[in-house]
Amino acid sequence: MDTIGEFISYLQALGPSKFLRVFWFFVIFEFFRYFLLDLVGLILHRVSIWTNRKRWKRAREEFKKENPLVSIIVPGKNEGKHIFKLVKSLSEQTYRNYELIIIDDGSDDNTPIICKSLLKNGLIDQFYRNEERGGKASAANLGLRFTKGKYIIHLDADCSYDNDAVEKIILPFYYDKDIGGVGGNVMVRNYKESLVTTLQAVEYFNSVGIGRIVTSQFGIYRIISGAFGAFRADVMDKIQGWDIGPGLDGDITVKIRKSGYKIHFAPEAVCLTSAPNTFKKLAKQRYRWDKSLIRFRLRKHKDILFPTQGFSIINFISFFENILYNLVLNFMWYFYFIDLIFNFPNLILHVMLTNLFLYTSMGYIKLLIFGLFRKRTNAPNYYFIPYIPLMVLYFGYFLRFVRTRAYFMELFFKASYNDPWNPLKTSIHAKEKGL
Amino acid sequence: MKEINTEIIPSKENDHVIEFAGYTFYTIYNTDSLKTDDIVFYDVIIIQAGDPEFTRHIITRIRGHFNPEHYLKPILLLNQSSLKDPYTNLLDGTLYSLEQIKLILPKLQNILLRIKDLTFSSSLSYEALIIQKVLSYMYSRDMEEMEPFVDFNSGIGYNYPILSVNFSRHEEHQVLNIINIMLEEKLMKKEFLDSVYLCTKCTTGYLSYREVCPKCNSSNATSQDIVHHFPCSYVGPIEDFKNQIDDALNCPKCNKTLRHIGVDYDKPSIINDCLSCGHRFQDFNVKAKCMTCKFDNEVEKLNKSSINTLSITKKGQIMSVSGYVTTSKDLQEIIGTVKLDTFRTMLKYEIERLKQTEGNSNLAVLHLKNSGEAYSTMDNELQRTMLKVLIKAIRKYLPTSSVITFYSSSTILIAINDLPLKIARRLTEEIITLMRELMETNFKNMIVTLEHEVKAVTVKLSSDLQIQQLVKDYI
Repeated sequence: MDTIGEFISYLQALGPSKFLRVFWFFVIFEFFRYFLLDLVGLILHRVSIWTNRKRWKRAREEFKKENPLVSIIVPGKNEGKHIFKLVKSLSEQTYRNYELIIIDDGSDDNTPIICKSLLKNGLIDQFYRNEERGGKASAANLGLRFTKGKYIIHLDADCSYDNDAVEKIILPFYYDKDIGGVGGNVMVRNYKESLVTTLQAVEYFNSVGIGRIVTSQFGIYRIISGAFGAFRADVMDKIQGWDIGPGLDGDITVKIRKSGYKIHFAPEAVCLTSAPNTFKKLAKQRYRWDKSLIRFRLRKHKDILFPTQGFSIINFISFFENILYNLVLNFMWYFYFIDLIFNFPNLILHVMLTNLFLYTSMGYIKLLIFGLFRKRTNAPNYYFIPYIPLMVLYFGYFLRFVRTRAYFMELFFKASYNDPWNPLKTSIHAKEKGL
Repeated sequence: MKEINTEIIPSKENDHVIEFAGYTFYTIYNTDSLKTDDIVFYDVIIIQAGDPEFTRHIITRIRGHFNPEHYLKPILLLNQSSLKDPYTNLLDGTLYSLEQIKLILPKLQNILLRIKDLTFSSSLSYEALIIQKVLSYMYSRDMEEMEPFVDFNSGIGYNYPILSVNFSRHEEHQVLNIINIMLEEKLMKKEFLDSVYLCTKCTTGYLSYREVCPKCNSSNATSQDIVHHFPCSYVGPIEDFKNQIDDALNCPKCNKTLRHIGVDYDKPSIINDCLSCGHRFQDFNVKAKCMTCKFDNEVEKLNKSSINTLSITKKGQIMSVSGYVTTSKDLQEIIGTVKLDTFRTMLKYEIERLKQTEGNSNLAVLHLKNSGEAYSTMDNELQRTMLKVLIKAIRKYLPTSSVITFYSSSTILIAINDLPLKIARRLTEEIITLMRELMETNFKNMIVTLEHEVKAVTVKLSSDLQIQQLVKDYI
């Protein structure tokens, strides 16, 4: 009781300057960037939709009139079990003029049998198989080589799609001719499966559902998800497809940006994915994803950060924002923590509790306010209410530690080049060339 | 008493005929017409023809005939070594001079002697007729086994000597149907030899397997490697990497020259281009074009059939002597009877019922001992009519709960249910009397030999065993 009393007294005694001194990390990171800026971005997005409604209408009309062929490519290894469901999900699409190309990257299960059967029955249009696994980029590039469509959609086989998803993801190309790539809205299908999938659903709600609307609104949207992304075929031809991964979806987005095209996020083009259902699997996935920030932002595409030929301020901001909030502030958190230990050793418990209170409150506020901006949800917002306090532990600690390890391993050991996700025969070359 | 020649001498009346050891040998020359009707008057046929085509035709005419006096006739070939399978298998010997008849005579005598053992009845169906022919031919030649031969001219790719000769090339698939009947009837045993795939449209086996475009079915296509350049992940057909100047391969994405397969690039697959419709694909469809009817078959849908070496069973040997009249399939069509399998099942249920009720049921067998003789005097239609009349008459004597089946064309089984053994015996005897009267009225010169037995159904033995015990003396 004494502790609670002391905590309340502590809160009452906090003035604005002292609050900023102790909770600066919350203010810069959570409040300013992920609440205030997001809120402004969402409002601007709504305003933009309303003010440009006639332009959107014209885009829709032009799109319907042209009815372009869309090539959907699905590269993968041992994905046979998902392919039929994917084909069924696509057969429900409101947009019909598409060709479906499946690329089997050296599967050692019954994937080729399943795909050949689907091909024979006319459920897929083209099927290619590499007997030797070459990595996801090579499989995607093989599919890309044989596409005939004006637009290319890249899908993951284990996802399913809203029946208007194809239509919604292609539409922005008619809205703005400078758009080179469009990202779809990825949501967690199995959010009820376990605690970890529920927490990921909340995370996707914020970082994908909201975060990408905002970054897209400000023109700094930087990653078209591999699970659901659309590209102009001529742009893909220009940038010559995907380079070696892991993290090839972020890489290709940067390549499109560098070629002078805009990247757009289509929140209504919804894709449902199965998130990892254990903390171990999630840690493995994020460890792979997070390494790509170092590899692609700081290494392969570091030229964006310098005033070289073809410098683009918007690309610089996109990179800078990404590096600042994901890399710099990630490490800053450790300084923040050390700062607290050294300068406020007696108040550490109070500070931690206050942080928990602040982040949780902000979580609820965001769930409530940002929820109003979402047109399409796959889960009711109230479902997540009990889990919001846990997000502090999940996002603030668990994912931070995974991220820190990934950054550290990539910065000092170039660990991504040894990732078995990519075959060694290609990783060797990527490492040699610093790709 | 006629004098038996011990030397080979030409006949005085006919220069085609020679006589030896009491047998007449009729020689067919290749200047003769293709008519073979006269051969019934001679014991052995000798073909002396330089033209193999003519020889083949004569052999086919004789062995393909449906009169046993034709198809069983011993045939020798004189002075012709160019004849190959399957026709040599339809011959009884090859001679290089007429003198060699002396050497082959014991074999000929044996054939002619065994032919005399055979009974020929008019079979109920075409299938039964062919089966009778096969069985009697095998018996007369003392053959225990019939081995099929690979034959280019056969509609199914394999020739069964005495069987295939009855069918034209486009009907030859029926050989397999006949074999199936013989196996079902347990007249033959089989040993797997090979499998054949037959056209779904015309059922011949002369197929051309081709890799075709999955879109337009054309076999006009080219193939090329798919190349994966490791450093930049570019993947495409090898044509993307070729240049106009030299033989080097250059990556179209990063302009690097490909150096070492497995190190900086590999060829993970191939791609095919159809030159007819332009379709690009990885896997050809395989189609089987029938060279007979030109139908392009899906390989998966081809009719697969087994080719087996056949050997005659004891039942087959008995049937060959007594005259094979009908198949089970033919008998199933007689109204008032059930299939033997159904009879077995019904008996099984009857035994179960008896276990509960302690009632009385009986099993009777009626057997016509000289059925071959009886059937031989009737044509197909008459046989069928006779069986129908007979069953109708038997039914009148029996309670409606009784079940009748044909165990064979000469053996009838009756389940007389819910009656004491004594009454069942009386009923059976009345039926026998009726049958005897019917037979004697219809076959005036024939001594009718009917046998019968009645046993009470016991709950201690299985239905199959009870049937087996009852019919064992009549098989």
